[in-house]
Amino acid sequence: MKDALKRFEEEALKEIGLSLPNRDLLETLRIKYLGRKGILTELFKKMSSLPPEDRPEIGKLINIVKENVARALNDKIKSAAATEESKDRLDITLPGISQRPGKIHPITRTISDICRIFSGLGFRVVEGPEIETEHYNFETLNIPLEHPSRDAFDTFYLKSEEKFLLRSHTSPVQTRFMEKNKPPFSIIVPGKVFRPDATDASHSFMFHQVEGLAVGSDIKFSDLKGVLNIFAKTMFGNSIQTRFRPSFFPFTEPSAEMDIRWGKGWLEILGAGMVNPKVFANVGYDPKKVTGLAFGMGVERIAMLKYGIGDIRMFFENDVRFLRQF
Amino acid sequence: MKINYNWLKDYIDVKLSPEKLAELLTMSGLTVDSLERKGDDAILEIEVTSNRPDWLSYIGVAREIAALTGKILKIPLITANRKSETKNLINVKIEDKKLCPRYTARVISNIKIEESPEWLKSRIEAMGLKSVNNVVDITNFCLFETGEPMHAFDLDRLSGGKIIVRTSRKGERITTIDGVERTLEEGVLVIADDSRPVAVAGVMGGLNTEVTASTKNILLEAAAFDPISIRRTSRVLGLPSESSYRFERKVDLANISYASARASAMIMELAGGQEKAFIDIGSKQEKNKPVELRFSRLNSVLGVEIPAQKAKKILTALGLKIISSSKDKIKFSIPGFRSDLKNEIDLIEEAARIYGYDKIPDTIPGMAASPARESHDITIAQFIRALLTGMGLDEIITYSLLSKDIILKSGSLPEAIVEVKNPLSGEQEAMRVNLAGGMLNSIIWNINRKTKDLKLFELGNIYIKDGDGKFVERKHLSIGMAGEIADGSSGPRKSSFFDLKGVIQVLLSELGVKDVSFTDTGDGNLSPSARASINAGQDNIGVLGEVSRRTLTDFDIKENVYYSEVDIDSILKHVNLEKRFMELPRYPSVFRDISIVVNKGISNADIISLIESKGATILKDVRLVDRYAGKQIPDGKISLTYRLEYRDNAKTLEDKEVLGVHSDVLRSLEEKFGAKLR
Repeated sequence: MKDALKRFEEEALKEIGLSLPNRDLLETLRIKYLGRKGILTELFKKMSSLPPEDRPEIGKLINIVKENVARALNDKIKSAAATEESKDRLDITLPGISQRPGKIHPITRTISDICRIFSGLGFRVVEGPEIETEHYNFETLNIPLEHPSRDAFDTFYLKSEEKFLLRSHTSPVQTRFMEKNKPPFSIIVPGKVFRPDATDASHSFMFHQVEGLAVGSDIKFSDLKGVLNIFAKTMFGNSIQTRFRPSFFPFTEPSAEMDIRWGKGWLEILGAGMVNPKVFANVGYDPKKVTGLAFGMGVERIAMLKYGIGDIRMFFENDVRFLRQF
Repeated sequence: MKINYNWLKDYIDVKLSPEKLAELLTMSGLTVDSLERKGDDAILEIEVTSNRPDWLSYIGVAREIAALTGKILKIPLITANRKSETKNLINVKIEDKKLCPRYTARVISNIKIEESPEWLKSRIEAMGLKSVNNVVDITNFCLFETGEPMHAFDLDRLSGGKIIVRTSRKGERITTIDGVERTLEEGVLVIADDSRPVAVAGVMGGLNTEVTASTKNILLEAAAFDPISIRRTSRVLGLPSESSYRFERKVDLANISYASARASAMIMELAGGQEKAFIDIGSKQEKNKPVELRFSRLNSVLGVEIPAQKAKKILTALGLKIISSSKDKIKFSIPGFRSDLKNEIDLIEEAARIYGYDKIPDTIPGMAASPARESHDITIAQFIRALLTGMGLDEIITYSLLSKDIILKSGSLPEAIVEVKNPLSGEQEAMRVNLAGGMLNSIIWNINRKTKDLKLFELGNIYIKDGDGKFVERKHLSIGMAGEIADGSSGPRKSSFFDLKGVIQVLLSELGVKDVSFTDTGDGNLSPSARASINAGQDNIGVLGEVSRRTLTDFDIKENVYYSEVDIDSILKHVNLEKRFMELPRYPSVFRDISIVVNKGISNADIISLIESKGATILKDVRLVDRYAGKQIPDGKISLTYRLEYRDNAKTLEDKEVLGVHSDVLRSLEEKFGAKLR
């Protein structure tokens, strides 16, 4: 019996070794040697004729032989498969099948980037109306009627009985929000604004701003610097240099403009300041009990700097060759 | 305003180079916009904020530099004027003290009008003005030096020897020095003699009394006028001038006598003559209230400790005088040239400005923790953007202001249009009432640039006048498709109504909007062959369809365009972004396909609703998986394949149960629609 098994193994391994690497041929060999009616099954059947004391040893031997043959077969089948697969190769340089993802407009993208930075600092995104009144666009913000401080805010007026206008900045949302909410809070306000400017590469009669406002019992000018420096570093990179210059806005005091180092010079990117106590008084807050920081920036300007865009009009032409770059 | 570097040195001993000076001024809030070097001289273009009229003069700028550098401000001394008083030479009357708080008139006789000397000419020209003659140049020189605008009249041409400061009568006319005849509205502040206006007060003098080569005697006016009145006049006449610019920002009452005396002294020096009279009516100085500064407040607002001595030094260097002082606070009197300093916060700003913003540290505010959740509509807008870009659509942003023509072409009723009163051009004359105009403009822009695969969307406000004439802003979503769809799986194909509908369906489904249906619409911008209104429950929330030929022609578009506009505000109440887990089915589903041939007129919706009604409780889903017309299918017919999913949630379905229901479905399709099984 042992000899028979030995011969079986030699014969099988030899034939498998000589076989062509064809999966069909190898399957025939598997059936011949290991199949239900194969040679090994026949040998196994003969075991019953052996003396019982020999059976465990022979049984073990049969299993070993079976494993050896099966392993040889499997190895040969795998290498056969590999040979076959390598014959029928795809042109892997053909394009992948996919849906081109659409793109968020670079202005929306910039607004999201800005808002995300301030959200991380605890600011909440709030919006306000684009059609405004003189009351909110000017008066509550300490910009009196017929005052030279209005010169900075050329404004579109609407044909109507009452004096409606298109907001010329996002700051009216400050006083609208304060009238309805009690401090402490911090909000960030993105939105469209409108100014009657002749359109050219750097002017547009419609553009976007993001306004920020934080009010509490202990907000300081140093907090304004801290918050805005974090913003600048996150937006433009850790190595960006900034500086704060004194400036004038009717609704903040002290007021500042923040510049970033750009090439050899400095570029203004936002206006900011401590909320003017008069603005607090206008919304019914006690200026003795609260202080606040406020800032506002032009989104187009920041997007143009960040992406290296030279003409503001491109944002509104919506040429997809432009949009798909972002 | 321009600042001539060498001229500035007359008032302050500047050791800094023009570049360093520009940097110093910019960092203290007086922005130097540009600097033009001229050898060792330079012109600095400064941008003066509206709160600082005192900076509109050389002396004012020099005072700032004095505070910044510790150098001494040098105000020119006036040599004694040669006087020989003549009584009753002129008579000055102010009708409204509020409009003219102070008026001074100085008569100088026997002068000789000549060309200005070179030094004066070059200074006047450095300021961007043309030299006129010695007297006019001196008034301009003193305007820039002191900030007080002055005007010289030819005394002999003032009728009746009178100056009356009054408001104009309706229809009064004056020809100003620039040669333009102007008809005045009623109420414009003018300087008049006894018969006519001789100057638009504070804005521009009259031609008939101007100083010419033959002038012998002059009346030199130095005054203060009401800022609002001057501003209004200058705007109405479209006549901004160096004078009006300063008067509308408010001049310092106390500075008037100095400026007048200074100009007079210069005139007598360069043009000869003697002073014959000086009349001075009105308030001699500002009545600025004292302002108190508490050191504790200073430091708590700024977040930095500025030593009391330092703050005191800064503010006194700026011209403020200490009235009283203690350990905790100082009370200052405010000079006339700093009427902008009214409250403690104004002093805090001055201290911070000169101390240097760069010396204030960065800190992070202790913000109150508040639920930082955005409002519903902001979250939804972000959600929609993510979804649509995921489906391959590009976001556009178009102008909210358009020409009325475009707005009418995109289907608005004229009475709903919100119009702009003061547009700069016809392109900005009205507010969009829908997003279609902007979308079609963007599509034609891209078609003209040969882009073939356009799938665009915009999220933005529309603006309408409602029935009561009230302005309403609503957030809308527009989607436009044109040209080809090319995803690379097969050749490019034309985009279709169903590409657009698919986007809308996925969008609404992901927003959790229930009970969405598409029904007929009469929207005139869309083609009758392919248009639908979109409904959520009973609410109409938008439209979709193929843009009509007529509208496309208006926008010069030749290709098919598919367009949808959804009112986001009206779907807000249908949106449900809350998720809840639903138990997965425990028993397997059985899928059965039905392929039938029916007449083309029968709608998919009718077939599905019939299948659903016959499918009993075990039918869980039915969908169209294939639609075919062509070979083997008779004309006028169509082959449809539906896949039905059967499941029982309580047990494994048996074949005969499915068979029973499925045969019911088939039979009713045959009976109701004459469907033939394939």
